[in-house]
Amino acid sequence: MSRPLLQVRGLTVRFGGLVAVDRLDLELHAGRLAGLIGPNGAGKTTVFNLLTGRVRPSAGQVLLDGRTIAGNGARLRPDRINKLGLARTFQNIRLFNQLSVLDNVLVGFHGRLRAGFVSAVLRLPGYCREEERNRARAEDLLRLVELDHLSQEKAENLAYGQQRLLEIARALATDPRLLLLDEPAAGMNPQESAALARLVSRLRDQMGLTILLIEHDMRFVMNLCEELTVLDHGAVIARGAPHQVQNHPQVIEAYLGVDQAAGEAGHA
Amino acid sequence: MTGPEFLQQLINGLTLGSLYALIAIGYTMVYGILRLINFAHGDVLMAGCYIAWYGVVMFHLPWWAALAGAMALAALLGVLIDQGAYRPLRQAPRISALITAIGISFLLENLGLVVFGGRPKAFVRPEVFNHIYQWGELRVLSLSVWVPVITAVILAGLVFVIYRTRTGMAMRAVSRDMSTVQLMGIDTNRVVALTFALGSALAAAGGVFWAMKYPQINPLMGVLPGLKAFVAAVLGGIGNVVGAMLGGMILGLAEILLVALLPEMAGYRDALAFVLLIAILLLRPTGIIGEELPE
Amino acid sequence: MRLRLPARLNPGHLAPAHQTRRRDSLLTAAAGLGVAGLLWLAQEFAGGYVVHMLCVAAIYATLAASYNLINGVTGQFSLEPNAFVACGAYVTALLTLSPLEKEASFILEPLIWPLSVISIPLLPALVIAGLVTAFMAFLMGFPVFRVRGDYLAIVTLGFGEVIRVVANNAQSITNGPLGLKGITQLTNLWWAWGLLAVTLFVLVRLVHSSYGLAMMAIREDETAAEAMGINAFWHKMLAFTLSAFFEGVAGGLLAHLITTISPTLFTFFLTFNLLIMIVVGGLGSTTGAVLGAMLFTFGGEWLRVVEEPMTILGLHIPGIPGMRMVIFSLILVTFMIFARQGLLGRNEFSWRWLAAVFKPRRRP
Repeated sequence: MSRPLLQVRGLTVRFGGLVAVDRLDLELHAGRLAGLIGPNGAGKTTVFNLLTGRVRPSAGQVLLDGRTIAGNGARLRPDRINKLGLARTFQNIRLFNQLSVLDNVLVGFHGRLRAGFVSAVLRLPGYCREEERNRARAEDLLRLVELDHLSQEKAENLAYGQQRLLEIARALATDPRLLLLDEPAAGMNPQESAALARLVSRLRDQMGLTILLIEHDMRFVMNLCEELTVLDHGAVIARGAPHQVQNHPQVIEAYLGVDQAAGEAGHA
Repeated sequence: MTGPEFLQQLINGLTLGSLYALIAIGYTMVYGILRLINFAHGDVLMAGCYIAWYGVVMFHLPWWAALAGAMALAALLGVLIDQGAYRPLRQAPRISALITAIGISFLLENLGLVVFGGRPKAFVRPEVFNHIYQWGELRVLSLSVWVPVITAVILAGLVFVIYRTRTGMAMRAVSRDMSTVQLMGIDTNRVVALTFALGSALAAAGGVFWAMKYPQINPLMGVLPGLKAFVAAVLGGIGNVVGAMLGGMILGLAEILLVALLPEMAGYRDALAFVLLIAILLLRPTGIIGEELPE
Repeated sequence: MRLRLPARLNPGHLAPAHQTRRRDSLLTAAAGLGVAGLLWLAQEFAGGYVVHMLCVAAIYATLAASYNLINGVTGQFSLEPNAFVACGAYVTALLTLSPLEKEASFILEPLIWPLSVISIPLLPALVIAGLVTAFMAFLMGFPVFRVRGDYLAIVTLGFGEVIRVVANNAQSITNGPLGLKGITQLTNLWWAWGLLAVTLFVLVRLVHSSYGLAMMAIREDETAAEAMGINAFWHKMLAFTLSAFFEGVAGGLLAHLITTISPTLFTFFLTFNLLIMIVVGGLGSTTGAVLGAMLFTFGGEWLRVVEEPMTILGLHIPGIPGMRMVIFSLILVTFMIFARQGLLGRNEFSWRWLAAVFKPRRRP
């Protein structure tokens, strides 16, 4: 198993004149837990959008388990990429607000449903078996993120931290190999984020998932991730183990610079 | 087709295109600011025509006074529709406002049927527009010559307002980003009202000339010109006033030329706009000079 | 991936669910029989007018429920059902009319072969009409679902107009503005309500399946749905073609109820009426659409009084033709401004809900 699960080569995207991601290289081996960090506006979420097929790259390519999923002539739709084993959560939570918590997770199973719609309408045994199994697995996932007591609640009624957990459960329902978490701890209090950190390591350790996460909370990332990639203005400025990156002069500059600027403008 | 005949058709196309352009501007300005397809726009046009008709027939006004009255009252009607029906839905999902607009459109049409009756009324063409200009073999109705000229004057005035005055600047700013502009202390509701007033007045003008061209009016007359003018707005790039003029001209010329060059297809003329619409959305969804719309 | 379960599945949790499901099926069957009994009574004892209105109500309910699948459940606001109803009506009529009738009707241009010689029974004609309409929707879907939101609305509206123009001009198929006459009145209570039953069976089951969930997910957040592995395009297409199928069949029954069809019957006005029904019932609710259709049909009949001359307290008020539509438009706008969710919101009628209503309330 020498081939990395995720390979990103020279990935570049331009919006008008702005280079949002600039010749990004990234490799992630199966079973790793990695972080993508950087100041606001560094292009982290854009990287996720590129990996999941929401944004098309201007140059470069993305390979999942050796297969090109973006760039280099590949134009895979987001749902195709998801079915190849790449699932994500969203920075600005995007749940199906009017659907119940359980239904949100069940939607995640639909992409892999084998029964056709005729079978679903006629409630043929094949469909019913799948439906029952998915329901049981959805309930398992809700227990995993400790939302099982809220399964009939509308998603929009959940607390902020719970909504982030539900997004993770929904992503897990699609049976991914690589899980992309976009600021999973944002808006959580210290207890919640500690529980989240335990959950994330459990997903990796017990379920063998490969995880790439974006996070602002440096402490969260330093304790959790094994390797970090630091992005600034769309380009990689440092990479390596957390303690190596922490003391990298360019990283310190990027973060300090942003801290000073943060007072002047809330966005970048 | 001979040269003069072709020239004649070209002038007819320009006339029709001018009318589409006048109507399309109201659509495009409202869409630019509220992201709402104001379905009732064509019916405001119809109301304007009836106002002008009553002005001429009941109050014996000269045509230009009736036209001015129609424009003023149509502007008022447009503002009332916005304040009464659309404003309560500013924060609602866009589809709700769209459904409301469809409802208002049917409301005006049926009110028209109730109040004015379903039978078409003859619209008398004023003397200035009712004689034939003749240059050699070329014979053109004076209305067909004057409509593009008057339209050009109106549109030049509009472009001046939009690009050279403070009001126009506020309009353009609101269409860019309503919430930011609100923070900067501009009364967005006033700008929206003004937009409806201007758009409706232009639609009434377009409608009155339309009524002179096919000299009759009925309560459902606004539906088709309205829809086609919206297509023209999309064609030119929705939200863009110059684009709406361009789109209107293209649509008018295309319709007239279809009928002139392929007479056996004349019956399909009313479908042409929608075929063009589908084509433009597939090939270049932003229209001819439209800008990329944010998601 | 195998999940390591922290689980003790609660078996006691599943059993009652099965029991209520059984109870619900029984109740639904009983209600169906009840409705059938009432229809039989109407057939036997009520006048022709009542029977006719009951047929219209069932056809409208079928149309509204189908229209709601794409507009309400999947959230793709489209405005073309008049085109689908027209397609179904014309196809069915052209298949069932006798060659003699056709020859007599098509006076300007003869009907093209082989339509001119075909004459088949109603049932296969309806099925073919549904399939043809669904296929038309399938072809339309490719351009239509490349756009969203209000663009989708205007493009589908445009398609509706194009179909109307074609019906007016394709003389040798549609007989142009003259339309088709002499269609046998075959639609009766059993056809109309039978179609409604089949439609509701399919739609309710679909909406409550994984496919319905995927459609609702697209309505709620298309980007998120796609990121969760749902092919948004094909699910929209599924909802669109399926609703077109039922709208086509309903159009066929409509043709065989009113016996004369022409392009003026299938203008945007028809779509507008359906829109009122699904908005009043609650966009997204199948049972709401049925409720909306019933209210529209019977309420509309009741409202006819406003169009008739009347005398109140010695004051004579002349009838105002067209007033009903003014009132309907006002109802639509009022609902949009003050009760956007309609009567049922996105909720469905269910026996559990009914049971909850009748359960004695606990005292505080």
